[in-house]
Amino acid sequence: MIAQIFFSALLGIVFLYAWKEHRRSPAVAALSLITALAGLYFVWVPSQTTRLAEFVGIGRGVDLILYTWVAISLIVILNLHLKLRTQLEMITVLARAIALAGARGPQADAVGDPSTPSLPTAQWSKEVAAGSRVSGRPRA
Amino acid sequence: MNPAINPTTEVAHPQLWVICAAYNKAAMIGRVVSELRRAGYRTIVVDDGSADATGPIAAAAGAHVVTHPLNLGQGAALQTGMDYALSRGAEVLVTFDADGQHRVADIRRLVEALARERADFALGSRFLGEAQDLPPLRRLILRAATVFTRLTTGLRLTDSHNGLRALTRQGAAAIRLRQNRMAHASEILAEIARSRLPYVEVPVSIEYTAYSLAKGQRLSDSVLILLDLLAQGLTR
Repeated sequence: MIAQIFFSALLGIVFLYAWKEHRRSPAVAALSLITALAGLYFVWVPSQTTRLAEFVGIGRGVDLILYTWVAISLIVILNLHLKLRTQLEMITVLARAIALAGARGPQADAVGDPSTPSLPTAQWSKEVAAGSRVSGRPRA
Repeated sequence: MNPAINPTTEVAHPQLWVICAAYNKAAMIGRVVSELRRAGYRTIVVDDGSADATGPIAAAAGAHVVTHPLNLGQGAALQTGMDYALSRGAEVLVTFDADGQHRVADIRRLVEALARERADFALGSRFLGEAQDLPPLRRLILRAATVFTRLTTGLRLTDSHNGLRALTRQGAAAIRLRQNRMAHASEILAEIARSRLPYVEVPVSIEYTAYSLAKGQRLSDSVLILLDLLAQGLTR
């Protein structure tokens, strides 16, 4: 019973994690939820693991748990990758703002080109400040 | 300013901007910019955090230079170039490889096609034009990419990974590149399909040189591109 309560608490945390990730990546959230539900089922009905393992052609219930654990690890790695992508997008917006603020035209353009507007760096600054909206598509 | 450039020729294309994304292209960028400037095109070189003198050479040749503080990738550089051109009032934007494999004369054909077909995107196709010394493996990869493009976007193209394109202001504003690196070419097409704006393919010539082939994409890159596109599809 102690082990069941302990693992249920852990899987409850996975539930909360999936809920938190839902807005950023629905796919990862769905996978986490399915994994947590399957885990709870196995924790509270352990006799079913061997039967289920035999049904899917694995053999032993322990092997099924092992394979599930590998699947969970892959989901975690995928999620880390997606988070890194999001951070890279934020870095890109920041680097772009810096680059545009420091843009320089050729000498020929600077002379006698009064129509040249100043760069709207404020727009990109807003994107950076928005942070979470980096992945949005600013289309009309 | 390069004395070989006649600044008065810019008047012929006052609102057309050519964008070159360049990373460590010091060996080629001067010649590419000089040719573009001689033809009268305003040129933006986005120096994508080069370790060599790409930026200064481009500036000396007469280009506007926007320098990324770190290397982000060609997709990010093109988006930066488009943002810069739009902020300067560009009406037509052309993306042009910094490798020297595109012909300056093809820019006019693209722009004329935009006007003639009332399109917002004119996409260069080496398979409608001349692809000189195209290696068989690369031809195969590019053919497979066109099939992939048709399946994923519905666009019927003969060449889905050609860096020579012309966009109207409206077309450029409808595109937002999030793929910083190699997958940006596929992303541009997906964005074009999503925008539902008209597009046209135009025959252009590609000159494959030892330099451009060494810098070009390989078969293994195709797998990474697919993974990148898949990963983007999993996030909002």
